[in-house]
Amino acid sequence: MSFGSPYTTLPDFEYHNPKTLDEALALLKEYGDEAKLMGGGIGLIAFMKERLMSPAHVIDLKGVEELKAVRRIPGEGLWIGAAVTLSELLDGKLGEEYAVLQEAIARIADPMIRRRATLVGNFCEAIPWVDTPPALMAMDASVEIAGVGGSRSVPISSFIRGPVDVDLGPTEIVTAVVIPDAKGRVGAFEKFTGGSEFSLASVAVVVSGQGKSKSVRAIYGAVNSTPIRCTDVEDQIRDGITVGTIRKAGQVASEKVECVDDVLASSNYRKHLVKVITTKALGRMMGR
Amino acid sequence: MREISVVVNGRRRKRMIKDNELLLDFLRERLEVKSVKAACWRGECGLCTVKLGGGLVKSCLVLAVEADGKEVTTVEGISPGGELAPIQKAFVEHGAAQCGFCTPAWVLATHELLMKNPKPTDEDLTEAVSGLVCRCGTYNQIREAVADVAGTKSRRRVAEGVAQA
Repeated sequence: MSFGSPYTTLPDFEYHNPKTLDEALALLKEYGDEAKLMGGGIGLIAFMKERLMSPAHVIDLKGVEELKAVRRIPGEGLWIGAAVTLSELLDGKLGEEYAVLQEAIARIADPMIRRRATLVGNFCEAIPWVDTPPALMAMDASVEIAGVGGSRSVPISSFIRGPVDVDLGPTEIVTAVVIPDAKGRVGAFEKFTGGSEFSLASVAVVVSGQGKSKSVRAIYGAVNSTPIRCTDVEDQIRDGITVGTIRKAGQVASEKVECVDDVLASSNYRKHLVKVITTKALGRMMGR
Repeated sequence: MREISVVVNGRRRKRMIKDNELLLDFLRERLEVKSVKAACWRGECGLCTVKLGGGLVKSCLVLAVEADGKEVTTVEGISPGGELAPIQKAFVEHGAAQCGFCTPAWVLATHELLMKNPKPTDEDLTEAVSGLVCRCGTYNQIREAVADVAGTKSRRRVAEGVAQA
């Protein structure tokens, strides 16, 4: 029997299944700190089994129709609703400009988990080794937040404040992530897991625009408490990605990217991985 | 407690459940569908895989209440009337099971793959079952069973052909 044994059951809670954003906000207003929002539930259910979270109320966003959409907003970018699953973003509709995100998503967990997990839920966990934050940061994505008192938008780089710490109040809901348009944007995502489920180091590289408006991003995940940007690597490839600049960028990455020591890997090992993944990611971009 | 109504393998089942109950427990304990195995409880082994609505999910990561009004298929549902599905026959023929604990999940997952993609490549298969484990290590036999149903050659058969040539 599974009932009652630790780690296999969930704490008691009341389940809510709002159909509209207004209903969800009303529930949050009523329950506030007592409530947790659920997207795919992958993270929340795991946390609840471990009793790291024991909310009295679980508010499921999967039934909120307006959050299920992926739509292009002229002048703003691609709006991806909070109830959109990872697998829905892999069906080939996004196009080459979103390669960095698609490569990150394609290697998250497995197809069964990707069918449930949402993009918004994935980055809202803000676990250091989660793969979508570096990809979204490399595309300068912003997070759209609705609250009882109104809505706001913040860059994802400031939304993620620390490990498992995001800029979201108890009565607020992340409704979407918005990725700005960038014609001809090329990018690549690379990670090393050592065969486990966790990234030990990851990198998202994106180059967009031309000439003076050219923008380069190199964001490293899983090496520190939050994803970190390395402008030194960006400088190496600003004038083009060649065999020579790739080699230099890899070297610079291992020197400049600050890597932590923890139970998963030593700082030195991570620095080596950073060099390898930088080289691999840039190598793929050379042909794009 | 609340009542939910779920169509499991074509049959409507109504039960009272608690909000915090997992779909896995609902199936095993309330409905006694014991082919759905409880092993890791954390979405890693895939042995609690079921089809929910349009696709496969790991039932230890789904709340029972979320299945309300939906259809669930377990391995029993792919052989209505007791006639084995082609992939089940192939599992038997190729000895694609050892202890058998994980077999229902593998059969369901490979059956589902073949329904959606009748001629999967080795890569398609690897990707589709990347969330499942078999600790006896029957992976090669499973590959051969799938290739047999698909009418393709598994990597091992190709390698043997090359060795003989």
